[in-house]
Amino acid sequence: MEKPVRSIVIVGGGTAGWITAGRIAAEHQHDSAQAVQVTLVESPTIGIIGVGEGTWPTMRNTLMKLGVSETDFFRECNASFKQGAKFAKWVNGADDDFYYHPLMLPQGFQKGDLSSAWQREGSAQSFSEAVCYQEAVCEHGLSPKLITTPEFASLANYAYHLDAGKFAAFLQKHCTTKLGVKHVLADVTRVVAAESGDIAAVEVERAESNGSDQIAGDLFVDCTGFSSLLLGKHFEVPFVDRSDVLFIDRAIAVQVPYADDDSPIASHTISTGQEAGWIWDIGLSNRRGVGYVYSSRHTTETEAESTLRNYVGDEFSELSPRKIPITSGHRELFWKNNCVAVGLSAGFLEPLEASALVLVELSAEMIAEQLPACRSVMDITAKRFNETFLYRWDRIVDFLKLHYILSEREEPFWVDNRKPESIPDSLQALMSLWKFRAPGDHDFTSNNEVFPAASYQYVLYGMGFKTNMNWRSASDAERMFAQEQFALNERAVRQALDTLPSNRELISKIKQYGFAAI
Amino acid sequence: MAKLVSLHNSIHQELRISPEKAEYHGAELNMVPVMLSEFLKLAVQFPIALTKNKETGKFACVAMLGFAEKENLFWQHSKLDTLYTPLHIFRQPFFLGRNDAEGHSVTDSDQQYVVCFDAESNSVVSEGGELLFTSAGEETPYLQKMKAVLAELLDGETRTHTFVETLLELGLLTSMQLDITFANGESQRVNGMYTIDEKKLNALSGDTVVRLHNEGYLAHIYAMVTSTGQIYSLIQKKNARLSAAALNV
Repeated sequence: MEKPVRSIVIVGGGTAGWITAGRIAAEHQHDSAQAVQVTLVESPTIGIIGVGEGTWPTMRNTLMKLGVSETDFFRECNASFKQGAKFAKWVNGADDDFYYHPLMLPQGFQKGDLSSAWQREGSAQSFSEAVCYQEAVCEHGLSPKLITTPEFASLANYAYHLDAGKFAAFLQKHCTTKLGVKHVLADVTRVVAAESGDIAAVEVERAESNGSDQIAGDLFVDCTGFSSLLLGKHFEVPFVDRSDVLFIDRAIAVQVPYADDDSPIASHTISTGQEAGWIWDIGLSNRRGVGYVYSSRHTTETEAESTLRNYVGDEFSELSPRKIPITSGHRELFWKNNCVAVGLSAGFLEPLEASALVLVELSAEMIAEQLPACRSVMDITAKRFNETFLYRWDRIVDFLKLHYILSEREEPFWVDNRKPESIPDSLQALMSLWKFRAPGDHDFTSNNEVFPAASYQYVLYGMGFKTNMNWRSASDAERMFAQEQFALNERAVRQALDTLPSNRELISKIKQYGFAAI
Repeated sequence: MAKLVSLHNSIHQELRISPEKAEYHGAELNMVPVMLSEFLKLAVQFPIALTKNKETGKFACVAMLGFAEKENLFWQHSKLDTLYTPLHIFRQPFFLGRNDAEGHSVTDSDQQYVVCFDAESNSVVSEGGELLFTSAGEETPYLQKMKAVLAELLDGETRTHTFVETLLELGLLTSMQLDITFANGESQRVNGMYTIDEKKLNALSGDTVVRLHNEGYLAHIYAMVTSTGQIYSLIQKKNARLSAAALNV
């Protein structure tokens, strides 16, 4: 057999770099004769962007695969629970305008669809409230589990809010001490190409020595953030700009302290529509992360800052806002020759629906689990990887756009977002179908879906969309089923409100007592 | 609700406690915390298991007395029908309180405990029962015995905690799934109980077994394993109670 893939070099030490390093090392460390050596090269001078304080429930699986304890994770990353997103002021901007995209499927979703029944009965409740008890849990500031629930297990499905800088440091410690990842603090100064066109090595200047040396590898993972050093700069893989669909191109972010140690911690991301974008509000255990993402074509930096000031309140003047430019889009390919990009180097979209970290997790998972055994099969894996992730980026772009196109807001940003030429054909086709039929699993048949049909239902009906069901009548069995499910949901709400502690209370207990492993 | 009062030989010279009535504190307990030192005595009658403290999530060893909430199947004819009464019931109505009432900061080295009693307890009686102090203000043998029990509980708590930590460290615990159908067809699921994972126990390395033996834990671990069989005698008690209830209808 030809030379096996044994040495993997990851360039960049943010969350993308460490998650990828950890997943590969954890997957391949056991068989020592065939062991894969993972080396992570991190610049001592370039800071991390720290994208993504919001995660998906997939992060629980990622942490389990890495073999970390959930208690340590909470304690060291200022983590808190996230049970979905609340979208406020996206429909018309009124004070009572909100809906939820919870992390749990609608009641009985596997057995039948409730969306048509919900529309038919003209329920006084919003869709998310009528079909999922998690909205009530979030509205009451409750946590998704008890201190007696084992780590990573849940009563209500959950993800996390986390401090990305702390998370990277936490993963670094775990990867280097438990998983055998070599950590090199050095600036990459040059990419050394082999005759084949592959990357043979990266030349580095180490922090501790004056000279430069080369780090050779069989596979290189580009986690260099927006600079996309290997895939973008070296291989010159073009960038696909998606700002024709998603207009947001600026972020301004602040860290807001809690009023006191007992202030409630929201157990969901709050996303509030604004004149030219939206404000995220994420409760960590020690502070809130708040930021305005906006379109610079539709507002000025000064106006944006005052919008954020209005949201945060008086204390804004004591905070130091951080400004981050955003280019919505992704590379045309993610894996070229023996180099694969993970994280911002592959692309970035506005932080709506927290797609950044989940793409890192999915990429790391695919690389770790489908690691090519040798160079001759790598191109096959690369082709698959590219197809899979192009599909995923497209689906995410569609889903994010869905949030904008049903708004009734009149500001130019929102009006422009509804223009048909800004809506991808694939989304327009789905919207045409959904005029007469609710989103279902038949609409999403790939093995590589990112958002399930239920997520589309939550946004669609949350935004006030009407599916015309008059062309078919519901059977008695369907009506009975729906009534049963609505009743079950009401019962689940009562049970949850009776049992679950507040988010703040449980997080304090995790810090004090910790979760048991079983 | 318990009302804890610290014991004083002049104030409480006339106080009488009825040990029989103290058992009432166990009447509605379906489980009771137990100490490592009691395991061998408990195992002949009760299932010994672990459960998590609802407030802290920390594991505690318990003897199971019933299945449903407030169900003590050993409570018969207004008394506990047991061969051995768990110390946590036997100690009633006495407790240890930390003596930091004078506002001094109490460090671990000079930590002082005071004996308290539950003034709301049914076992506080006006006649009969046991006196706690002699007319000279000396402690009676009854009080001395109860203080020894409290001391054993205090010491046992630390030892039992270390024991549980060792079980967790070795991954020896597993959750117990109990789906019980009683003779009358009524069924019940018991959640939140944990026991020794016998597969893991059998797979322990020789070194670990020696370590457990040297720490004195091995006998206790096997006592727990054996005691789970007592779940059947609990079921029998429950069935007897159900059929007695059916006859009385």
